[in-house]
Amino acid sequence: MDSRIATIARCTLIEAMRTRLPALVLVTLLALLAASFFIESIAVVEGDRLQTGFYASGMRLSGVFIAAIYVLVSVTREFNDKGLDVLLALDLPRSHYVLGKLAGYLAIAALIAVAAALPLLWFAPLAAVAQWTASLAVELAIVVAFALFAIVTLNQLTPAASFVLAFYLLARSLTAVRLMGAHPLAGADTLSHQVIGFMVETLALVVPALDAWTQTAWLVNGPAGWSATGPLLGFGALYVVLLAAATMFDFYRKNF
Amino acid sequence: MKPGAERSIGTVPRPVLFVFVAALCLQIAWQAWQPRPSARAEALGAPASPATLRALALGEPIALAQLLTLYLQAFDNQPGVSIPFRDLDYARVTAWLGTLIELDPAAQYPLLMATQLYAQVPDEARQRLMCGFVHDQFWRDPDRRWRWLAHCAIMAKHRLRDTRLALDYAEAITRGARRASNWARQMRIFILEDLGEIEAARVLLGGLLASGEVTEEKEVHFLTERLKSLEAAGKSSLPANN
Repeated sequence: MDSRIATIARCTLIEAMRTRLPALVLVTLLALLAASFFIESIAVVEGDRLQTGFYASGMRLSGVFIAAIYVLVSVTREFNDKGLDVLLALDLPRSHYVLGKLAGYLAIAALIAVAAALPLLWFAPLAAVAQWTASLAVELAIVVAFALFAIVTLNQLTPAASFVLAFYLLARSLTAVRLMGAHPLAGADTLSHQVIGFMVETLALVVPALDAWTQTAWLVNGPAGWSATGPLLGFGALYVVLLAAATMFDFYRKNF
Repeated sequence: MKPGAERSIGTVPRPVLFVFVAALCLQIAWQAWQPRPSARAEALGAPASPATLRALALGEPIALAQLLTLYLQAFDNQPGVSIPFRDLDYARVTAWLGTLIELDPAAQYPLLMATQLYAQVPDEARQRLMCGFVHDQFWRDPDRRWRWLAHCAIMAKHRLRDTRLALDYAEAITRGARRASNWARQMRIFILEDLGEIEAARVLLGGLLASGEVTEEKEVHFLTERLKSLEAAGKSSLPANN
């Protein structure tokens, strides 16, 4: 890695440490863990299953929320503090800045995923936890890459946060939307349905179906197998590359 | 960041453009290569206990009950697949309906679903199960739930061809639902008539008229005419019996 990219990535990580991101993740983790023990204690049967399911699904959503908000706020602050202007005045290609920031955020995403998975080692088989962790890391990688793309493109926090939220909700519900669109109860022949169906299928080409990722079922029912999770990881890596390229494309076209 | 006009695409380095286009093409090709999602019917799970749901409702049991009612109602139409009602597990359906009523006792919706949706399947056992459920629930709040039991009485008489069951339901309404409409409270008289128990029907109808519960002039006239025809039928049947 270019030393300038590595430096920006390291600075991004240091910034995360100094803005109490680890403390936030730890507090969230402990709160969800405590709540999961409470749920386990009131369950009559399948207490372990309930505890694992609650903690894993809660930590997944919390991780996505924390990672996305962190990226959006961090880049917004950099825009507002004029730190970016100073950086761009140096002999630094814009692509290096994007790659450096992205590398730092990807490292943060991976650390959040690993931290989230640690308590699961007591509740679920190692193979299942490994698959869940890898999937969560790639899911968070997609989220942080998309958040970076959104804030660079839209510049302001509120529209960017809304864009990220909409993307994530769509990604989690896309399969259900496609299924409902493919087999409507009525009106399948209408023009409006054909148009909407085409739009949904087009969206499916560029939006990942995150409902198949990081499934709690892997932890409570048994591992899915690397043959099932492997392609998800490959696809996630490709999607991060696509988002990074899109971010660089937009960033190069910005006037400062 | 200051707002300003965007720079031209020519300012984007070629490697960045190349990676962007290549990644986009790969992404589209990958997704297009993936098999389309296929629909799979999921079994209706058992509901949580009302106490658990009340705790989860965070003080809004009625709102939760309404949401769960819509969930149950939509269960036959899962994403991409429509499940016929007859394929649903009716024991689970009645458990859900009972839970919904526990959460929101004033709601009529679960009973409407029981009588108008789930009891409409062409399966006698399921129709009887739903009517039994409505009958059980009727006794918990007769004055508000009589109309659903009246529906079941009519269903029992005309669809199930079980006039005795219809009479049971009609008598339950008469005994339990003091605020029910007169037509519902009088239903047992006509069912008794259908059963050939003319004398019992005559006595009940006479008693009803004598009690003064019926005040509508036209209704009194109709019931009086009915009583007369019952008495005539009773007299004409006496010689035959002798």
